Amino acid sequence: MNSNKTFKFALVGNPNAGKSSVFNQLTGLRQKVGNFPGVTVEKKVGSLTFNTTEYTLDNSITVSIIDLPGTYSLYPNSQDERIVLNVLAHPSDPNYPDFIIYVADLTHLERHLLLFTQIKDLNIPIILCVNMIDVAAEHGIFLDKKALSDTINVPIVTINGRTGEGFDELKTNMLSKMQSDPPPQYKMFYQPNQVELKAAEDIRLSLPKVDNAYRAILLAHHYAKMPFLNTDEKSIIKHIVEKHHFEDLRLQITETLQRFDKLRPIIEKIFEKNKNNHSSITDKIDGIVTHHVVGPLIFFSILFFIFQSIFALASFPMDWIEGGFMQINASLKSSLPEHWLTNLLTDGVIAGLSGVLVFIPQIAILFFCISLLEEVGYMARTVYLFDRIMQKVGLNGRSIVALVSSGACAIPAIMSTRTISNWKERLITILVTPLISCSARIPVYALLVGFVVPSENWWIFNKQGLVFTGLYLLSIVSALSAAYVFKKILKSDETTFLAIELPEYRLPHWKNVGITVFEKVKSFVTEAGKVILIVSMILWFLASFGPGNQMQIVEENARKVASEQKLSEQQTKDLITSQQLQVSYAGYLGKFIEPAIKPLGFDWKIGIALISSFAAREVFVGTMATIYSIGSASEDEGSIRQQMKAELRPDGKPLYTMATALSLLIFYVFAMQCMSTMAVVKRETKSWKWPIIQFLFMGVLAYVGSFIVFHIFS
Amino acid sequence: MNHLESLSNLKDGQKGTIHHFTNDHMASKLLSMGVLPGKCIRLIRRLPFGGGLYIKIDNQNIALREDEARNIVLDIAEKTEVYL
Repeated sequence: MNSNKTFKFALVGNPNAGKSSVFNQLTGLRQKVGNFPGVTVEKKVGSLTFNTTEYTLDNSITVSIIDLPGTYSLYPNSQDERIVLNVLAHPSDPNYPDFIIYVADLTHLERHLLLFTQIKDLNIPIILCVNMIDVAAEHGIFLDKKALSDTINVPIVTINGRTGEGFDELKTNMLSKMQSDPPPQYKMFYQPNQVELKAAEDIRLSLPKVDNAYRAILLAHHYAKMPFLNTDEKSIIKHIVEKHHFEDLRLQITETLQRFDKLRPIIEKIFEKNKNNHSSITDKIDGIVTHHVVGPLIFFSILFFIFQSIFALASFPMDWIEGGFMQINASLKSSLPEHWLTNLLTDGVIAGLSGVLVFIPQIAILFFCISLLEEVGYMARTVYLFDRIMQKVGLNGRSIVALVSSGACAIPAIMSTRTISNWKERLITILVTPLISCSARIPVYALLVGFVVPSENWWIFNKQGLVFTGLYLLSIVSALSAAYVFKKILKSDETTFLAIELPEYRLPHWKNVGITVFEKVKSFVTEAGKVILIVSMILWFLASFGPGNQMQIVEENARKVASEQKLSEQQTKDLITSQQLQVSYAGYLGKFIEPAIKPLGFDWKIGIALISSFAAREVFVGTMATIYSIGSASEDEGSIRQQMKAELRPDGKPLYTMATALSLLIFYVFAMQCMSTMAVVKRETKSWKWPIIQFLFMGVLAYVGSFIVFHIFS
Repeated sequence: MNHLESLSNLKDGQKGTIHHFTNDHMASKLLSMGVLPGKCIRLIRRLPFGGGLYIKIDNQNIALREDEARNIVLDIAEKTEVYL
């Protein structure tokens, strides 16, 4: 055994096999999430160390464990599933495993073994890990381990992914796999027909690196979509496939049927099964939860509950985070010398950091709820319930998960679209998701809604609450309408699938939920955080510097005014900041775009706020605070609102009328003002084309919507 | 007397044995999910207005679109034909 090499294990299995539980049990928090090169399928890699004392080794061994996406077979239907094929069909892939841990669910063993036999035919050393022995036992299903292992000739471990039962045996097996050489030569499970044999033989003759007959057959099936083949190799395989009349779909079907035919007698031999009524609890729950009237009602109640808890529970930690950063800033400002570097640190870096971290509570709560619903098996039901209506507007039932998530933040929502196999449906979901009002719009709505209606009751409803609800409804309606328009514009003849497994309900595994929340928050902070931080530093620069020496002149003038009016030191500072902002680059930018936004009822100050909102929408409130020179006092809505109320247009009428505020609100409902989202869309669609189209269509919606609203109400 | 019928024409609670598929694409996807000829499918319920079908096969629950279900042709024994 070569001790210098880090062995790679890959976890492979069907969806719902409990792979992530196994991964979490093996690696704990020693895992990191990345992307497979070229695609945005999430790649989870972790490590496991076998120490010297526990395993009586000369040196401790650390292995890497990669969690491949769940798939039913090596005939993929989505981007997630395609990854498994592309890694396993390509031995020089950097992610190609030395060993495979195949996770199968004992309660559906026959179906779960299909992919197992395919992988075994690739001759990769494999350990079969039979999961959910506890659930199976409840159903009266027991496995005759020895009988199975005698038939399929691989080591078998039975485990319980939740309790950790059987993992010691799994680890011992992993170790003995690493210490045994040479690797076993498996006998082909599948018996290819003449066409397949001839095609495989020709492929192996022309491409000597293809070392295995089944791998050659897979190349014949999928060569057109395999990124690791070059054009020459593709045309060679194409030629061979055509020469032998290799019928892709028909052969897939005969292969799958033959594998199941051979599996059936094995399964019958190894099971000790008492036929009792299997998933009666699941059936009872689904009688209610997937009912065509009660089901959607339950779904919307759950949504309502989630958003209530996001707003109610997240506000406390959010206040702590903001307060904490303000204190840090205040103490830094008083202890560090007055210098532009200090300002960069406090107003640029720390303010930006605070803007990112303040969203952690909301994102954590949202992902806690979503991964909980996922864990218990509820999400698949919502996919079933809403598939029809989603399809009508060009989306997929699976889009509902993204649309719900985007109520908190569009970034993780867009990332969740990877399970949608049809590219057109996935693209439309990505395009319309940012229209759903996310949590970053809430501070803006909260500030502006006061100018639209007073906080009083109409019947039993709070009027401001009604406007809020209206804005959310508007965002949902516009997302679905936009999807419908895209459905009509975009062309695609790719097949679309619903066909989704509705797994049995089970109690959540808290470790999985915890790790998901941790991973999602971490990736938000690192992915979105980078962009927000950079943009807020650029904005800080634009707002702190101006052309020529005007900044200085303005400061001197402001000091004069201040001493005439006997303002306190703090008030003087605020006055200077506010006056300087007007002659800064940001101020000039605001004035530059003023003619364009005047028809919407906005002035150049709002223009500055709009520009700065491109870092993140909620920056609007902070910018308003700076413009109306209360920046240092607080970001308290009340005081900003008072200052805004006092603001007059050149003709002496108040600027913030109902019409202006409504117009601004509509603008924020529609406009794509989020650099981070655009960056994620670029990454997911692999081109700048789609984020630019998205930016433009949302911008046009925002402009036209604001224009109409402003002219109706003024 | 048995007869063949598409899954999409079944009523709630009816069942049948899978006879064949009419579309290879769909067949390939369904086979890998364990929906195999010779297995018994029961339609548990369906959503109104052409919505999805909730089916049970081998103690496994699967949701299908009406279009997808149309490709599955079932062999239906007369005695299970409750709604005649």
